Amino acid sequence: MSKLKATSKTVTTALHKKYMWTGTRAIAEAVKLADVDVIAAYPIRPYTGVMNSLAKMLANGEFVAEIIVADSEHSQFEIAKHASAVGARTFVGSSGVGLAYAAEPIIVTALGQLPVVAIAGCRALDDPGNFGMEWNDVLTFRDHGWLMCWARDPQEALDMTLVAYRVSEDRRVLLPHFVAVDGAAVTHVSTPVEPPSKDDVAKFLPAYKPLYPLDPAYGPVTKAQHIAPSLIGPELRKVVDNSMAKAEEAIQEAWEAYSRFVGREYPPFIESKFMEDAEIALVTMGAYAKDATHVAARLLEQGVKVGVMRLRYFRPFPKKELVEALSRVKALGVIDFSYSFGSADASSVLFNEVRSALYESGSRPLLMDFMFVGGREPSVGHFEQAVRLLQRSAEKGKAEKHVLWPTLRSEGS
Amino acid sequence: MSEYSPIKTVGDVSSVDLYTSGHRTCAGCGAALGYRLLLKAAGPRTVVLGPTGCMYVANGHQFLSSPYAVPWYHTQLGAGGAAGVGTAAAFRVLMLKGKRKKEDVNVVVYGGDGGTGDMGFSGLSMAMSYDYRRFLYVLYDNESYANTGVQASSSTPWGASTTFTPSGKIKKIGNARMKKNVALAVAAHPGVRYVATATLFPPLDFINKARKALEADGPAFIHLLVPCPKGWFADPKYTVDLSKSALETGLWVSWEYENGELTLSYRPEPRKHVKAYLRMQKRFEHLNDSQIEEIERMTAKEWEYWKQMDKQRKIILPWNAPPWA
Repeated sequence: MSKLKATSKTVTTALHKKYMWTGTRAIAEAVKLADVDVIAAYPIRPYTGVMNSLAKMLANGEFVAEIIVADSEHSQFEIAKHASAVGARTFVGSSGVGLAYAAEPIIVTALGQLPVVAIAGCRALDDPGNFGMEWNDVLTFRDHGWLMCWARDPQEALDMTLVAYRVSEDRRVLLPHFVAVDGAAVTHVSTPVEPPSKDDVAKFLPAYKPLYPLDPAYGPVTKAQHIAPSLIGPELRKVVDNSMAKAEEAIQEAWEAYSRFVGREYPPFIESKFMEDAEIALVTMGAYAKDATHVAARLLEQGVKVGVMRLRYFRPFPKKELVEALSRVKALGVIDFSYSFGSADASSVLFNEVRSALYESGSRPLLMDFMFVGGREPSVGHFEQAVRLLQRSAEKGKAEKHVLWPTLRSEGS
Repeated sequence: MSEYSPIKTVGDVSSVDLYTSGHRTCAGCGAALGYRLLLKAAGPRTVVLGPTGCMYVANGHQFLSSPYAVPWYHTQLGAGGAAGVGTAAAFRVLMLKGKRKKEDVNVVVYGGDGGTGDMGFSGLSMAMSYDYRRFLYVLYDNESYANTGVQASSSTPWGASTTFTPSGKIKKIGNARMKKNVALAVAAHPGVRYVATATLFPPLDFINKARKALEADGPAFIHLLVPCPKGWFADPKYTVDLSKSALETGLWVSWEYENGELTLSYRPEPRKHVKAYLRMQKRFEHLNDSQIEEIERMTAKEWEYWKQMDKQRKIILPWNAPPWA
């Protein structure tokens, strides 16, 4: 009996081995675990490390895939799109202006209903060659039928990549997927990562079986033929719309299954901290949720009833979950790394999305937008200040100024 | 190369058409005729990728019809090379990993001059630097962005009037840039296994070149001149005659390049005066006799190089004094 126990313990330890991996390395490990077939690479910081790792793994024979060193991001995303159309599992990625250069293939990949998975290492757009962290590069494609999730750390980046393949390839969905990771904060920071076993991944993520592959063995499929808009134009848009709606269910199921395999609980859409009694809340995505949570924990000790919500998905946008979580919140601050010049109240993308989601709901807290734009990194002090401002606004019942640029020299602290 | 042997007579060409009815190309469309010949050469185990251009826009549209009896997928205007590579990479790795039955599958891109020589040049170059077998890129060159209303591309010949380079009262000449030789640029890629030029006449020449290209054990490229009644302002009944005349006047040079050796497929001896070709097309109507003589002079000069190349069986870049010098 004791012998058996020992054996079982040994196995458990072996399965739960942890590695110190950067976000890009962790994603590369996920790509290997997913047994991806075709990879298209082109360098731009900060995402490049993923491709460096994959190239080395392939050179060392750790798994088998075609890796194409493309001539541009445009070609990169076209390669992934067409390889996917044949029936290969594909991986691609970029950052900043690289994503802008690939805009055309990115857009048609969703319309082609192709489950390409791409990493976006979030980076400010040019000019000048700003290498700070901003979300506008990925958010450029928020309207184009790509699923989008934001990872908190290398562990979640690995997990999200595996789940992305499962959701994208789900026949109810068949949409491409961005796994967004904050530049530097996730791409270049090493934290302990516990990868799932190869066997578990094989069960969780069976080989991709395309519906209508572009392969003579399956007959003459004509795909994306030029059409008169009056014939099927609206119907083609509706296909993507329906798929996006069905993605919610697929995401929910995929995370439930994944949590069972890895033995870690993941809320599918929103990770909430201290939200049970919160009167003030911060909402954000990605790595800086950790800093926000750290600040909130400290302020809680001082009696400030503040909670933090981290949206794990931006597309589909978790409206229902957000509304539910905010039912008792008086003031909500959006910690935002995007901008939308000339938008309503000259605010940002996430802020407008949150505000739009709340408009018809019973949860209508006072809203403030904290725009950390231009790539200058925020400190925990900025988040603390945000909570204080929210507190003051909640007491007064209105915000004196509801769009703020905390890191801007003339405005900041 | 071992599997290739030329088809000797038109009667031996497959009677099966894989590019069939169901399109709405212009009367006398050279590019459509090229498509038909190409797919006869490639056969049914082929995937075709169509970058945006005439052969995208004119091959569907009205009745949700498709003229293709092989798998076909659109790719973006500048993406022919990348689409070909992505498709070929998928087949190779799926076969290697046992996810698909092992067999030869042709990957063919049929892209226009704008999508290939202009916007898609970078991707084409990338594609030609890889080692995918049975991968053929055919540039169908109708010498303008014809479906958008005949705008000049870098493949438009000197002196042609297009909607972006019209002949006017002050600027009389029309297009003042010299036509880019895409095939020679492709031949500069050391990994490319087969490069050729062709036109619609004689049909067996193009069919055989396409068959050879697919057996070339690596990436292959064919630059196909396709007369365009709409863009060249010519009578649709003269499409094939224009191909023939382009060869006879030496304005189109038909050649093959493999294993480092160049072979002329046709020698215009004696070469006819360019006037015979230019006067069949209204896009050159505004040119006066001295301007036509200028084209004749440039053509003669270029042919000194082609004769040298023919003798030495090597590529020598044909340098030409531009007409404005």
